[in-house]
Amino acid sequence: MAGYRLVDVAKPFLPILPEVEVSYEKVSFDDKVVYTIISGLIYLFGQFPLAGISKDESNVKDPIFFLRGVFGAEPKSLLEFGIFPIISSGLILQLLAGLKVISVNFKLQQDRELFQTLTKLFALLQYFVLTNIFILSGYYGENLTVVQIGVLNLQLVGAGFIAILLTEVVDKGFGFASGTMTINTMVIATSLVADTFGVSQITVDAEGHKEAQGAIINLVQGMRSKHRTFLGGIVSAFNRDYLPNLSTTLIVLAIGATVCYLQSFRLDLPIRSTKARGVNNVYPIRLLHVGALSVSFSYVLLTYIHIFAFALIHLVAKNNSQSIICKVLGHYETVNNILYTPTFPLSLLTPPRSLLSGLFEQPLTFVVYTGFMLITGVWFANHWQAMSGSSARDIAVQFKEQGITLTGRREQSVAKELEKVIPVASTTGAALLALVTVIGEVLGLKGKAAAIVVGVATGFSLLELISMDYQQTGGQSALAQVLGAPGRF
Amino acid sequence: MARINEKSQGASQIEKLTDAPLEFVKEGQQFLAKCKKPDVKEYTKIVRAVGIGFVAVGVIGYAIKLVHIPIRYLIV
Repeated sequence: MAGYRLVDVAKPFLPILPEVEVSYEKVSFDDKVVYTIISGLIYLFGQFPLAGISKDESNVKDPIFFLRGVFGAEPKSLLEFGIFPIISSGLILQLLAGLKVISVNFKLQQDRELFQTLTKLFALLQYFVLTNIFILSGYYGENLTVVQIGVLNLQLVGAGFIAILLTEVVDKGFGFASGTMTINTMVIATSLVADTFGVSQITVDAEGHKEAQGAIINLVQGMRSKHRTFLGGIVSAFNRDYLPNLSTTLIVLAIGATVCYLQSFRLDLPIRSTKARGVNNVYPIRLLHVGALSVSFSYVLLTYIHIFAFALIHLVAKNNSQSIICKVLGHYETVNNILYTPTFPLSLLTPPRSLLSGLFEQPLTFVVYTGFMLITGVWFANHWQAMSGSSARDIAVQFKEQGITLTGRREQSVAKELEKVIPVASTTGAALLALVTVIGEVLGLKGKAAAIVVGVATGFSLLELISMDYQQTGGQSALAQVLGAPGRF
Repeated sequence: MARINEKSQGASQIEKLTDAPLEFVKEGQQFLAKCKKPDVKEYTKIVRAVGIGFVAVGVIGYAIKLVHIPIRYLIV
């Protein structure tokens, strides 16, 4: 297959797929803020309930409930799969290109365009495949008519396509950083607020009692509700397991604070100018050099494994525990009529529903799941730092262009010195983040731990980018004036 | 220090397989020891900035989500 490249697959689609044009003029700070927020809001608004699914409860429950948080996926809505296809397609194709598995010459304009189209195409394909796996498994109800299947496909793939374009708007310089990052942070922040202060009342038992979604609102309501004692209300606010409770909210906040703490770990390398004497400064190397991407990557892999297993178990073996596939992979069991948890071999990669049930029913999970998160996270960080544009070599080139060097080093050995620090920083950071995630997940947060790790880490870097941009524009922002915050960052 | 201990515990499962993880943990610990950690003042500033950002964005997002509730009744 000499001369054949994967990027060429995208060639026929190049004229068909719509593309966001890069802006001709520089996008002003205020515009960027508006674009960033609005694209996030459109995404949030897009979490519409699906039309055309059968009304009675399906036997097939949500098999990926613990993976949804990281990808902003809302069950039974237009964004059933969230931005998972976009993140996975971007990460995996870039990783493959970086590892030279698929050959792309990023110096050529045409190759870049092809690669970009390929990424979009791959994301769209994933939306399509995921949709049909879920439809065929009976997740949206059994015995759907052809029309219903068509309508579902149209909704889910169509919404996915809009999501792809939304992220592209931000990516192409109309917003800050990358689109998936922005959307992710917004969705995670929203669900955090909804879980804490959410006022919507949800019927929780057969007698029709209603409780608020938000943990704090529920606490206040529980104290004065009629069907509970004062103390009972408080206890239930802390340990109800059908809706967010105060304990999980507190754990989530603690994890967020930990990530903030880790985020500000840095090694300050002393630098000096090669042109002017006596100009000394420091260049910070962050502990979280690759940010939360390592956690995202682990979760992308985890999702692939689970979706693949789900497809095999449901489409081929029909979730029949006698079938050979189910004996090898395990099958799904419904817990509390809401959760769908896999049994033995597959359960190794499923974080437990709660700490206690995990300890008694699936103790091996702790080892395997932790190992999986650590190994994939570290492996990813190690490769990503070398090709992400902020590798030791790239930074050394930047140093040279700006006429700076590490204090006490010759210019030639700068790259070597950075080479000693950056890979260690990225892998250590990835391992720590993986551990924080695992600790939270093992406590039974059902995906919220991973979500808050990704959310806070990306939110932090967004904040940093925004404040940098703000300073570069000299604080000339009407928005900041309206908000009355000159240089609050 | 507690966090570093957790790390070596977490890695200890794979430790038996090869020596590489051992070295990895050692290098990591050395790096962490050299790192500049935030002091209380800096840390509170960071947490406040991230917190305000998170809550502000979350509230806007949640307002949008509230709009969904009546729509949900209309459709389903």
